[in-house]
Amino acid sequence: MTAKDHLQYGPVDTSPVKSFFVHMLTRDIGLEESILDLLDNCVDGILRSDRTNGGGTPYSGFCAEIDFKGDSFMISDNCGGIPWRLHDYAFKMGRASGRAPDVPGGVGVYGIGMKRAVFKMGQHCLISTQNGRDRYEIEITPKWIGDENEWALPVRAARDERNEDGTTIVVGKLNPDIAKRFSGDAASFKSKLNDMVATHYAFIIDKGFRIRINGDPVKARPTRLVFSKVRSGTKGPRIQPYIFKTKTDGVEVFLAVGFTRPIPSQDEVISEQEEKKYSSLEAGWTVLCNDRAVLYCDRSEMTGWGEADVPRYHTQFIAISGVAEFRSDDASKLPTTTTKRGIDSSSRLYLQVKNRMREGMRIFTDYTNKWKTRADESRRQIEAAGAPLTFEEVKTEAKGLTFRSTKAQVLRGDQYRPKLPLPRPTQSQARRVSFVKDAKDVRAVAEYLFDDPEVDPSRVGEECFDLILKESRK
Amino acid sequence: MRHPAYQLRPNKAVDRLTLVDAIRRLSKLTDLSEYTYFGLGGPYLEDFRLLYEFHPEMRMVSIEEDPETYKRQRFHRPCGVPNLVLKRTDSRSFLAHYEAGNQKSIFWLDYTGLEYPHFEEFAMLLGKVASKSMVKITLRAEPKDYLRKGNEFREKFGALMPNRSYDPPRVAAGFAQLVQQMVRITSEDALPSAMPLMFIPVSSFYYSDGTGMFTLTGLVWPRSEEWALRNCFRDWEFANLHWARPRRIDVPMLSTKERLHLQHRLPRSNAGRSLRRALGYLIDEDVRSTEFKLGQYAQFHRHFPYFMKAIP
Repeated sequence: MTAKDHLQYGPVDTSPVKSFFVHMLTRDIGLEESILDLLDNCVDGILRSDRTNGGGTPYSGFCAEIDFKGDSFMISDNCGGIPWRLHDYAFKMGRASGRAPDVPGGVGVYGIGMKRAVFKMGQHCLISTQNGRDRYEIEITPKWIGDENEWALPVRAARDERNEDGTTIVVGKLNPDIAKRFSGDAASFKSKLNDMVATHYAFIIDKGFRIRINGDPVKARPTRLVFSKVRSGTKGPRIQPYIFKTKTDGVEVFLAVGFTRPIPSQDEVISEQEEKKYSSLEAGWTVLCNDRAVLYCDRSEMTGWGEADVPRYHTQFIAISGVAEFRSDDASKLPTTTTKRGIDSSSRLYLQVKNRMREGMRIFTDYTNKWKTRADESRRQIEAAGAPLTFEEVKTEAKGLTFRSTKAQVLRGDQYRPKLPLPRPTQSQARRVSFVKDAKDVRAVAEYLFDDPEVDPSRVGEECFDLILKESRK
Repeated sequence: MRHPAYQLRPNKAVDRLTLVDAIRRLSKLTDLSEYTYFGLGGPYLEDFRLLYEFHPEMRMVSIEEDPETYKRQRFHRPCGVPNLVLKRTDSRSFLAHYEAGNQKSIFWLDYTGLEYPHFEEFAMLLGKVASKSMVKITLRAEPKDYLRKGNEFREKFGALMPNRSYDPPRVAAGFAQLVQQMVRITSEDALPSAMPLMFIPVSSFYYSDGTGMFTLTGLVWPRSEEWALRNCFRDWEFANLHWARPRRIDVPMLSTKERLHLQHRLPRSNAGRSLRRALGYLIDEDVRSTEFKLGQYAQFHRHFPYFMKAIP
């Protein structure tokens, strides 16, 4: 090979092609998740605007309206708009390396969410925004999408002045599959979107943000934990969550795990195994990154179930729920994936925190196993502890607890291990009696004993046993 | 096994006759002799008796789990084999083994309760029946069951609720509407818009013969022929083709003499008021509720059976 041969090779063009962003990246995310990305931008807008309110409701006064129908999608907010100085970040396909986060406490890292959501849904988009004196519109057309050589988007001054600073995104020329979901599957889609927003945004809605979907307000469904309040001078076991908190490499971590409801009776467990009675359970771990839930009620190995000495999730553990919160001004340090709806399972920080999550969970799986034959008694203990508290209330209540340092551990921090009630030794002599009888006969005995054929079969069995026991002692 | 007194359930009887009406409409689009009717007919096989009367060309299969009720069904069967086959099995096992092939069906999932597995069975059925099959589902819709038990309702049905943040409504109309929305979401999940078949409702009602019930009838139909179905049912007096609020059935208890006195005045507009005047007295608490009840009678008088004392 001569030197002349080498000269025939020119440099290789590695510039991106537009269709990659329009058709490929959009496959990595579900429609509902891409809409959550748009809501993330709203909340980042609030943080950027520096108009957050103090106290427990920093987002009060801010709202986002989502409207979808067979031929269009719209999201409109009053969250401060996009300042012109950020246009390069907001509309560029991806974020340049080395660029500092523009919103401390936000979740945007990759600069792809809004564009991916738009391309996921349709071929035409009008983005109108107002931030102080900046008032402009950007239009994405099918022609622009189809032109591989055109990367600049024309910008024009917005015609109308808005009452409040904010952004409106209208997507038209919907992709056929999306149009079908917005019309033919409208009820199902709205229900699922509502559910995702109510769970993934529970903590943000609880802090004052209002979201409406096709006119209906979304109510938060935050995880709640039973927390027996500490009264001065009282000692002894009580139902409280396990809590761990730390701050490391610019990330604050606070996790709490405990009971969200009384533990189930054996009959409840058996009947659920035989026939799925519940379509929705609040059990499992919710993981928050800067207030957004990136996992909701997860009951897999991802959150420690079935790992090390923690048993696999089973209906028996229906009452156990936990929240792990990660908070950082630099979103790139949070253990989340690019879609922001999953955990980066290789994150060192998350793996260390997961150890703590398992440690906490173990306390409550142990309690459940010890009390499962006496679920009624346990129910009374848990109900006596009062109404479950929200995560924010748990954080407030935790200020009155005595934490112990975990310096010897890999992840240093402070933890609170609750002392839960244990069954008395005599109670461990208890034996479970269970048997199966014909349903018709059970109803007949229930009617004989209680004048009600619908009485719970376990009560019927217990009453039969007690009657014979009384008889035998005569 | 105890059964309610069927002769004391006039609203259910009306609902049963509206099903016969819907099937008659369907016959304008397809040949009913290609259909098999599957039902959970209870001890008296009332729906089977009606279908045999109106559509004797249709094959019928009864599904019954309880052995004694099964024996009573054999006693009450309105016609012989092969027109009617009595199967002794539970609905879930039956549906699990059911293979439709190209055989069109009319299914009535006539449940007495409201449980999550009922929706699962409904979804399973929508995915299995042949194109142009009719499916009717009846569910308990009694608001009292979940008064102050919002969490229990959410745990059971959260995945199907339009907005699980809210407690189930406390009034019958609202509760029935919620159950209908849950049926709709189930049907959209079972047959999403990406599939060639869709589920189109044709009627929905709620009523109480002592316990609140909701019932909805619809068809599994090719999306490409949606207009033909809507066209066929559009002028039906009970049509609900776009998931509008379910219609209430609450027919009054009238004597045969009263019915004969009123019947020749029907149909007419503003029937409640004119029938009250024709009677000359109140049949309910006040003028308003009397006119409502008589309006109900006017709406359903063709579907309102006569319950008479007979000496065997």
